[in-house]
Amino acid sequence: MTNIIDPIAAGLQRGWKVLGGKHGALPERITCDVAIIGSGAGAGITAELLTKAGLNVVIVEEGQLKSSTDFKQKEPEAYASLYQENAGRKTKDKGITILQGRSVGGTTTVNWTSSFHTPPDTLKFWQDKFGLKDYTTETLAPYFQQAQTRLNISPWATAPNENNELLRRGAAKLGIKAEVIPRNVKGCYNLGSCGMGCPTNAKQSMLVTTIPFALDHGATLLVETRAEKLVIEGGRVTAMQCIAVKPNAAPVESGKIATTIVAKHFVLAGGAINSPALLMRSKAPDPHKRLGTRTFLHPVAITTAVMKDTVAAWTGAPQSIYSDHFLHTQPVDGPIGFKLEVAPLHPVFFGANLPGFGEKQAELFRQYPHANVMLALMRDGFHEQSVGGTVELRDDGSPLLDYPISDYVLDGARRSMLTMAQIQFEAGATMVYPGHELAGGTSTWAATKAAIEALPMKPLLTKIGSAHVMGGCGLGGDDKLGVTRPDGVHWQLENLSIHDGSLFPTSIGANPQLSIYGNVNRLAQGLAKRLSGKDVLLA
Amino acid sequence: MKHLPPHLQRRSFLKLGIGAAVVLAVAGGAVALIKPGLVNGRLSPSARLLMARVGQAMLQGTLPADALEQQRAIDAVLQRTDDFTSGLPEHVQAELSQLLGLLATAAGRRGIVGLSASWEDATVAETGAALQSMRASGTELRIQAYQGLHDIVFVPYFSGEESWKTIGYPGPRAV
Repeated sequence: MTNIIDPIAAGLQRGWKVLGGKHGALPERITCDVAIIGSGAGAGITAELLTKAGLNVVIVEEGQLKSSTDFKQKEPEAYASLYQENAGRKTKDKGITILQGRSVGGTTTVNWTSSFHTPPDTLKFWQDKFGLKDYTTETLAPYFQQAQTRLNISPWATAPNENNELLRRGAAKLGIKAEVIPRNVKGCYNLGSCGMGCPTNAKQSMLVTTIPFALDHGATLLVETRAEKLVIEGGRVTAMQCIAVKPNAAPVESGKIATTIVAKHFVLAGGAINSPALLMRSKAPDPHKRLGTRTFLHPVAITTAVMKDTVAAWTGAPQSIYSDHFLHTQPVDGPIGFKLEVAPLHPVFFGANLPGFGEKQAELFRQYPHANVMLALMRDGFHEQSVGGTVELRDDGSPLLDYPISDYVLDGARRSMLTMAQIQFEAGATMVYPGHELAGGTSTWAATKAAIEALPMKPLLTKIGSAHVMGGCGLGGDDKLGVTRPDGVHWQLENLSIHDGSLFPTSIGANPQLSIYGNVNRLAQGLAKRLSGKDVLLA
Repeated sequence: MKHLPPHLQRRSFLKLGIGAAVVLAVAGGAVALIKPGLVNGRLSPSARLLMARVGQAMLQGTLPADALEQQRAIDAVLQRTDDFTSGLPEHVQAELSQLLGLLATAAGRRGIVGLSASWEDATVAETGAALQSMRASGTELRIQAYQGLHDIVFVPYFSGEESWKTIGYPGPRAV
């Protein structure tokens, strides 16, 4: 190990106030100005701005505090300690597996660093359909710019790895434009291990940027602590009850409230699925039955190719090339559009996600160094047949997303598989395997095209994943259109703000981290001003 | 339902995430025979036998050909299955426990897996054919069950560093 300084270990040495788990028992009662639920993209930005404004902040995180010293680039440990439900969170009918983070830094600790603006056609849709007049590219631009500066976001200047380059090469042969992805990294080692936590602290996740800032400015961080219930009286949140949880999210002591937090204001930023679930457990008012509805996933269809040359898809920046050709050359409310990207491939991800088993699968496994997995992220939420999913609670209070996969989405799966297979063959594929239980591998574009056209596109048979969870506490220009006001405050609870991906009234149509940073930056600056009278900036 | 053992009388059984109504219909009178597939988060003896058979079939061609080495490899996978399942959230453990418990019964094995031979006697070819029929099935429950089994074979298998050599993964780059 070289001399990489672990900023978390150093901060703890300096006396950061961190409690929960091995960091120390929680006091029975905590009083503060603002309690922030979650420590991911929205929570981190909010924590930095509120502490900058001099407010006394407590951050409540259900997951563990892990940092570069712990990040060994090994999948089993990473999936168990850094992801919701061991990287195996599934929708109600098991049709979609969701990758969502669960540790300090939230999904930003494990994402692949792709950083995109909210597309103008998405914002236009919000203005037109959700009454969000002030959500324009121009009004949001300075807030996105500050986030880009703060998190060192810029297009990846190093050559893409072969896994990404082949997307560009194949797309170019078909006249499809592919471009370089902006990433939030500083001094990146180009290891390719972003999904297991960055071992060099190059990724400018919340774990190494805003959360350390907040802790250096007096915030308290509670880890392995779940916000179980908001106490609601007279249109206000008066307190929040938290329980201590084990690494697998089970209560340390069933039914025991570990701490009660009393705050002037609460900021809910536990991420989509989790944020609406807390409001449901708390029986928050929901007069128009919006809560938990319209939860979007960017359902992802995949095709796997075996390329003529070595790809080594485990090494190098995981995502550096994308194509929006199938998003922005067609109407936003027409047949579902999709963004094209590739996936980094480590053994568990590769082995568990490819359909099939036995001798034939063994042959494909041996081609692992030559494998490429292409992804089509479908833009859900813009069409009447794309209403997304609805969050429910299990008996134990844990959230479950019911996301029926509609024919509208499945049509997109077929169209995107055709496109991806064609790109892969143009880039030099010798075999392509569509992500479908009934598909075998085929060695020519013509045979693959015929195979994909004949596949029955049905839930479960068609392999669908997701790494982006959005909506469920949607913004709305009036209380009938959403859970949350345009300024981020809950329509019925005056001292509760929602600052995470659950705000989005549709999917974004791009990897959402920068959309969360940019939008929440504006909301949190407004909140800081209202609570402290001070103007603060992210950068 | 009075005849059910206490662990099955919980209301959660009726809400089995993988399709309770079908499970009960398939299992019929055999419900009383279902024992939990996971005990303290780890495979019960009957679930272990079942998973050994499923693992052999699913990893056919990937596992070593030599019988003794293959047995050792399967034992290692099952050990990692225990490590994996015991770290899962409680609701996932409960579902898996019910699924494995059901598949270990004769009714579950025949009705859901489509395997006539007992788990003890089933050959790799018979198990593979049954798994393939689940995979391509039009029945939601059978596909869900197949995919659940697929997860708890392939995640533990590829969690083992010995799999790296088989597929040509050099391991993480030192920093």
